[in-house]
Amino acid sequence: MSTQVPETETEAETETEPAGESHQERRMADKAAKREYRESEKKAEDELRAAEESVHLKVFRYDPEVEDKQEPRFDDFYVPYTKGMTVLDALMYARDHYDSSLTFRHSCRQAVCGSDAMFVNGRQRLCCKTQLSEMAEPVRIEPLPHQDVVKDLVVDMEHFYDQMHAVEPYFQSEDVPSEEQRQSRENREKIKMSTRCIWCGACMSSCNVAAGDNEYLGPAAINKAYRFYMDEREDEEELKEHRLRILEQEHGVWRCQTQFSCTEVCPKDIPLTEHIQELKREAVKNNLKFW
Amino acid sequence: MSQSYNRGLVEDFSRWKEFSAGMWAWIFHKFTGWVLVGYLFTHIAVLSTAIPAQQGEMVTNSAGEQVSVYTNTLSLLESTFIVRLLEVGLLAVAVFHILNGIRLLLVDLGIGLESQDKTFYASLVLTGAIVIASVPTFMAGIGGA
Amino acid sequence: MWLLQRVTAAFLVVVLAFHFFLLHFYHHAFEITLMGTQTRMQDVGYFATMWLFLVTATFHGVNGVYNALVNQGISGTPKTAVKAILGLAGLLLIAQGTRVALYMNGFLA
Repeated sequence: MSTQVPETETEAETETEPAGESHQERRMADKAAKREYRESEKKAEDELRAAEESVHLKVFRYDPEVEDKQEPRFDDFYVPYTKGMTVLDALMYARDHYDSSLTFRHSCRQAVCGSDAMFVNGRQRLCCKTQLSEMAEPVRIEPLPHQDVVKDLVVDMEHFYDQMHAVEPYFQSEDVPSEEQRQSRENREKIKMSTRCIWCGACMSSCNVAAGDNEYLGPAAINKAYRFYMDEREDEEELKEHRLRILEQEHGVWRCQTQFSCTEVCPKDIPLTEHIQELKREAVKNNLKFW
Repeated sequence: MSQSYNRGLVEDFSRWKEFSAGMWAWIFHKFTGWVLVGYLFTHIAVLSTAIPAQQGEMVTNSAGEQVSVYTNTLSLLESTFIVRLLEVGLLAVAVFHILNGIRLLLVDLGIGLESQDKTFYASLVLTGAIVIASVPTFMAGIGGA
Repeated sequence: MWLLQRVTAAFLVVVLAFHFFLLHFYHHAFEITLMGTQTRMQDVGYFATMWLFLVTATFHGVNGVYNALVNQGISGTPKTAVKAILGLAGLLLIAQGTRVALYMNGFLA
């Protein structure tokens, strides 16, 4: 709990000063920290009383390194409500005023970085994009399902990134024109939605097939592949074949069972299932050509 | 990476209230599929009594007549309430699998993606309607032909 | 493979519905006799349809079960074992089904 006070003075002196004085410094630092913490908690209580409404949050806690958090549990936080507050705002309030060890990822708070995707009231959502007023209380906040929890609301995203990298999400044309590479308006319209992906991981976390089959590429990766496959600026046949070959492996597009959960939870409204279906049709057409 | 905690799958059935339409469709389609495959094997097994029957094997049925073992097996099964009930269940399972299957075929062709949850509910309702309408026909003549 | 599953699906929608109608509504299940079955199976068109029905249903079903298991994450040795068992079961089913059909038809006796 005393993480807020920098202990630089104590650290510098511990080597040179005798034990007694550094202990004194440390005690003072501790007291200052506790005082500040108590004040912030009291501040929260005041604000709570002042606010007309407060929101009840139930937040998943887990920490393998702290003894009483090794068994996951739900902590209750009461956060004063102001108009326009998002779930992320509430989480930050809880962390700043009640428990500074509450750990979660967040960055831009404007739905473009994709860091704060979580499972809120039974659905994958971006916390910064979700209005508290639309959530039924108590607001239940959990880390994304089907992924290993590192601590509290933070999940291990490595698997997600692996699948994204596996589709080679970059242009690969060797022959580029000497001037700009032009793209027609229609082509841009076609791939427009697929370019909006912010790598938040909500879709993959919502897919039951991705949950069961570890090798499944996942909707985000396939959508990324779609974005490149359909882009007319990369129009060499062998490249398209190459991309398609990655997608039509056993754990590629074929694992999709059109459950539509990905499309439903995508915070950028990308029609993921539609893109996956288009790629399935492409793969079939491509295979039939050889007959 | 430090140790992590397995919280169970979302489709851990205690959280069924959080399932979406598409998820239910996937679950039901799988479940009805397994049932139908199980039935297929059973059905061929029952029909295999046609082989000894064709070779002339006869048995005496409950009414004292001599009938082929095939006819006897079938009418014996059909006279029990439980088999009739299972047949209605089979109808429900098959009709749902067919209707949702049509929905999936349309989705695969790119039709109806925007209303996919509505088409799922439609297939559920139609299944119910067809099953209820067929119950009288299925239950007719119970108690031995 | 995906396409074949869809094609067999489309075929089955029609034939399964037909099969149900014929044997539960047009005729009644409790009225089925060996004679009736034999008469139906002697019609070449009907026999062919039924045999195709057997093959497509077995394929669609076994393939469906296999894919459901892959979706659930089966891999490695269990996967190869399941593939073999399912393939064998499917072939045996078709063999037995064909045999039964030929007896019903009167071709075998």
